[in-house]
Amino acid sequence: MKLSKKLVAITAAMQPGQIACDGFLGNDPRSLAAIMAADQAAVNRIGLSHRQIARRMIEFRDAGQKACGDWITIPPRWEVRVDSARGKLLCPFGDPGLYPKTSITVRDIQNGTEITFTDLHIHLIGRHGFYEGSGCAFRVEPARLAEVLDIN
Amino acid sequence: MIDNQQFTITINERREFRSTPGVSLLTALKGQQVFIPSACGGRGACGLCKVRVVRGPHSPLSSKERFHLTEEEQRQGLRLSCQVPVDQAMAVAIPDGYFHAKEYRAEVADIRNLTHDIRELQLRLIDPPVLAFKAGQYIELQIPRYAQVQRLSFRAYSIASPPSSPDRIELEIRWIPHGLGTTYIFKHLKLHDQVMFHGPHGDFYLRESPRDIILIAGGSGMAPMKSILLDMRERHDPRTTRYFFGARNRRDLFLVDEMKRLELDLPDFKFIPALSQPLPDDSWHGETGLIMDVVDRHIDSNRPADTYLCGSPAMINACLAVLTRKGFSDDRIFFDKYS
Repeated sequence: MKLSKKLVAITAAMQPGQIACDGFLGNDPRSLAAIMAADQAAVNRIGLSHRQIARRMIEFRDAGQKACGDWITIPPRWEVRVDSARGKLLCPFGDPGLYPKTSITVRDIQNGTEITFTDLHIHLIGRHGFYEGSGCAFRVEPARLAEVLDIN
Repeated sequence: MIDNQQFTITINERREFRSTPGVSLLTALKGQQVFIPSACGGRGACGLCKVRVVRGPHSPLSSKERFHLTEEEQRQGLRLSCQVPVDQAMAVAIPDGYFHAKEYRAEVADIRNLTHDIRELQLRLIDPPVLAFKAGQYIELQIPRYAQVQRLSFRAYSIASPPSSPDRIELEIRWIPHGLGTTYIFKHLKLHDQVMFHGPHGDFYLRESPRDIILIAGGSGMAPMKSILLDMRERHDPRTTRYFFGARNRRDLFLVDEMKRLELDLPDFKFIPALSQPLPDDSWHGETGLIMDVVDRHIDSNRPADTYLCGSPAMINACLAVLTRKGFSDDRIFFDKYS
């Protein structure tokens, strides 16, 4: 009962306009629990953990921040740019703390593929195993993260 | 003291009011036009709404308070005002600066696009009709319910105009894709709409001193610097001033003409824009490189200066490293880290 009440509160915080303009669930018809279970299975399939993925995202963020908003090359095959905006965001799971509005764009120079994630996403993935619902602007499939960021 | 089911709250031992029980201390203070900084709307998540409780509730600290308050702060009696229910009389201590902030209603008098992603809003104050502030301070603009956004929120924006125009203020706001505040400002807010805000807030403002002045900014960090420079012009401030402004390429540069005019108006002012990745079409002949490297090349560690920075945390941290290496004193460096 307690868990379901908590899930209801988290799902409410993920609705558009609560914390983020577009929310965190997109147009995904599945429940939050179903979304997270599916992503857990996807991460299991590629033999990784959410923490491993988040750690790699942090590596790219930290390397990119050195360029203060410009593209920076990260050998052997990436370019990264970290943009900062004024303000901070809350975690929809209710964790204390605020997450900077930092967006990290990683581009694979060899094939041109590009992904963008934020500081909050790193937290959501590493701490909660949540990659957002389908249709969200920032939704990135775990397998795609692993591929573009070369996590293995 | 209970009076008709209300409790007396004393602020800084000189102001009293009575509050209905059940509300949070943060809400009770806001009802008295005392605006304690808060970014999460009273959810205990941001940790900004700290006040010192001098007398009153001895309720145990919530888990959110234990997360946000250091042991020393807990010993000093600090609490998160959003986590303290008004359930008995209490006395609190807050910085005097909080008394200066008020709630304002204003009309959008002008909207101007400064770059592809930065917009200037001019707000004409209605009630109260004037805002007293120091150049460099910020306001918190209320983002109303709109479209699918059903919750009021606030966003902090630096004032870009000088204190000498207290009936009209300017804000320079950068578009954030999918941002709750900027989606409202760029997609919904129109000329002559009315808005609410409270302020002024912040301790980022120009200090009086005999030292030179170094300003460093990027993007919408231009706003407080413009306010400071216009204020200096009006006060005939004679100090040697250098303003380093970083942009990626020419389309991210703005207010260059205004800055060049200030070079003529101020006795010893130079605007030093720098492009980190100029495009071939930019025909750029000015400074190039990351702003901290440009600052490193230009500033003289033998000249004592007060330094003011406004921009992303990464930019500020990189510049702080340069300033520290050059021996600039920590207590003469002031910054607004976009937070």
